[in-house]
Amino acid sequence: MIHQFSYTAPTELTDLLTLLETVGPGARLLAGGTDLLVNIRNGLVKPNTLVDVKRIPEAHAIMSDNTKGLRIGWAVTINDILRNSDIASSYQLLQTCAHDLASYQVRNRATVVGNIVNASPCSDMAPALLCLDASVEIASSKAYRTVPVRQFFTGVKRTVLKPDEMVIGITIPIQSKGAKGKYRKLKRIQGHDLGIIGVAVARVGDSLRIAVSSAAPTPVATGALPLDITDSEALAAVDALISPISDVRCTKEYRRFMVSEFTRRLLAEVRS
Amino acid sequence: MRINVTVNGIAYEKDVAENRTLLRFLREDLGLTGTKEGCGAGECGACTVFFNGKTVNSCMVLAVEANEGTIETIEGESSGGMLSRLQEAFDRHHAVQCGFCTAGMIMSARELIHHTPHPTVDQIKEGLEGNFCRCTGYEQIIEAVLDVTGGYTAKEELIHV
Ligand SMILES: Cc1cc2nc3c(=O)[nH]c(=O)nc-3n(C[C@H](O)[C@H](O)[C@H](O)COP(=O)(O)OP(=O)(O)OC[C@H]3O[C@@H](n4cnc5c(N)ncnc54)[C@H](O)[C@@H]3O)c2cc1C
Ligand code: FES
Ligand code: FES
Repeated sequence: MIHQFSYTAPTELTDLLTLLETVGPGARLLAGGTDLLVNIRNGLVKPNTLVDVKRIPEAHAIMSDNTKGLRIGWAVTINDILRNSDIASSYQLLQTCAHDLASYQVRNRATVVGNIVNASPCSDMAPALLCLDASVEIASSKAYRTVPVRQFFTGVKRTVLKPDEMVIGITIPIQSKGAKGKYRKLKRIQGHDLGIIGVAVARVGDSLRIAVSSAAPTPVATGALPLDITDSEALAAVDALISPISDVRCTKEYRRFMVSEFTRRLLAEVRS
Repeated sequence: MRINVTVNGIAYEKDVAENRTLLRFLREDLGLTGTKEGCGAGECGACTVFFNGKTVNSCMVLAVEANEGTIETIEGESSGGMLSRLQEAFDRHHAVQCGFCTAGMIMSARELIHHTPHPTVDQIKEGLEGNFCRCTGYEQIIEAVLDVTGGYTAKEELIHV
C-alpha cells in the first residue's frame, strides 16, 4: 500500500468516540477491512488515521433476548452470524444471506456493520436486515440515536452517518423472531461473486416482505404486504421499487426481468 | 509501530509501517515466502493464513492488526521434516501443479476439516471457494481433501465433482 496513515486501536468505546471527534474527517474506522483496505490500496480513499474498532470486547457480542429481540455488536463477522445457534433457530434469513456473502476467508473478517456502512447497492446483508425490520444504533461522543435500516441508506455508498458518528450495533425486533425467508442471488459463477441482482422474500408474523439488492441506488424493500396478496400485485410492488441500471454485469432490462422472476419463484417457495 | 506477534510458534518483536499488509510483513520482513500474493485484493486466496485461529486473506489485514496475535502459515504445516497428512494427500493426488495456490489451499482445507471433519464434495467446494487454482481444475484438490477425511473411495465416483 502506498498511501500512509497512522493506526490506533482503542480498547474503550468512549475513547473511540472521542478520537472520532478529535481526528475529524481524516479518520476512518477499520472493521474487517475487506472494503476499506481494498479501497485504500486502489487509491479511492486516503485517510490519515485508521481507528481499529475490533479491540473493544463488547463489539463482538451477539445477544438474543426474549423481549428485546436480537442485537448484533459492531464487530460481529459474517461467520459469527453463521455459527450462532440463536440466529440459526430464530433469525434464519440472516444466515441465508450471510451464506451468500463473499468467500469463507472474507466472511471470517467481514462484519455485518461494515457491510451496511459500505452501502453498496449489492450488499448481501441488507435484504435480510430490511425484511427483518432491523434498526441501526448510532453513537457519537455527544449523542445516541437509532435509525431504521430502511432509512439508513441515502444513495450509492452513502448513509445518514455524520463524520463524528459510528454504528455501535444493529437490532432486530422481537416481532421478527421466527420469520422464515429465502434469498436468491444471481451470480456469474457458483462460487463467490458479487450479485447481479438479489431478492429476499420473508414471511414475518402475518405479513410478507420483499427486499431487493443491486437493482436501485440502495438496497430496497417493500413494506408489510398482506399474506394473501396475489403474485401480480406483489410483483407490481417490487417493480415500482427498483430503478436498475445497465453496467458491465448486465442490462437494466435483464435486471428488471430477473428481479421479477426470482420474486415469483421465491413467493411460491415461501408460501408453500 | 512496534508489534509483538507469534508466527508458527516463534515470538517476534518488530517495527512495521502502519500501511504494511500482514502478507508483505510475512514475506518480506520475516522471509516466510511460502504464502503468496496473487490479486492483493481478497479474491484469490493465495495469501490465506491463520490469524488467531481463523483463516484470513493476509493481503487484506494490516500487520499492525496482528499485534499481540498468533499467525500460522504453510511453513508451520510440516513438523520435524515430515509433511502433514494433508500435504501428503496433496502430493499423492497430484493436487499441486505450479504450486502457487497450494499454501492457501492447505490453510483453507485445514480450517474446513477443523469445522467439518467429514466434508461432502459440496462442503469442500464451499470451504475452498475463496481459493483459486489456475492449473489443476480442482478435482485433484477435492480428492486430496476427501482422502484425508475418509470420504475418498474410487476415482470413477468423483467424475464431474
Ligand atoms: C473478494 C471480496 C468479495 C466480496 N463479496 C461480497 C459479496 O458477495 N457481498 C457483499 O455484500 N459484499 C462483498 N464484499 C464486500 C465486503 O466484504 C463487505 O461489504 C463487508 O461486510 C464489509 O465489512 P468489513 O468489516 O470488512 O468493513 P470495512 O472494510 O472495515 O469497513 C467498511 C466501511 O465501513 C466503515 N465502518 C466500519 N465499521 C464501522 C462502524 N462501526 N461505524 C461506522 N462506520 C464503520 C469503514 O470506515 C468503511 O468505510 C466482498 C469483498 C471482497 C474483498
Ligand atoms: S492475494 Fe490475497 S486474496 Fe489474492
Ligand atoms: S497448482 Fe497452479 S494455481 Fe493451483
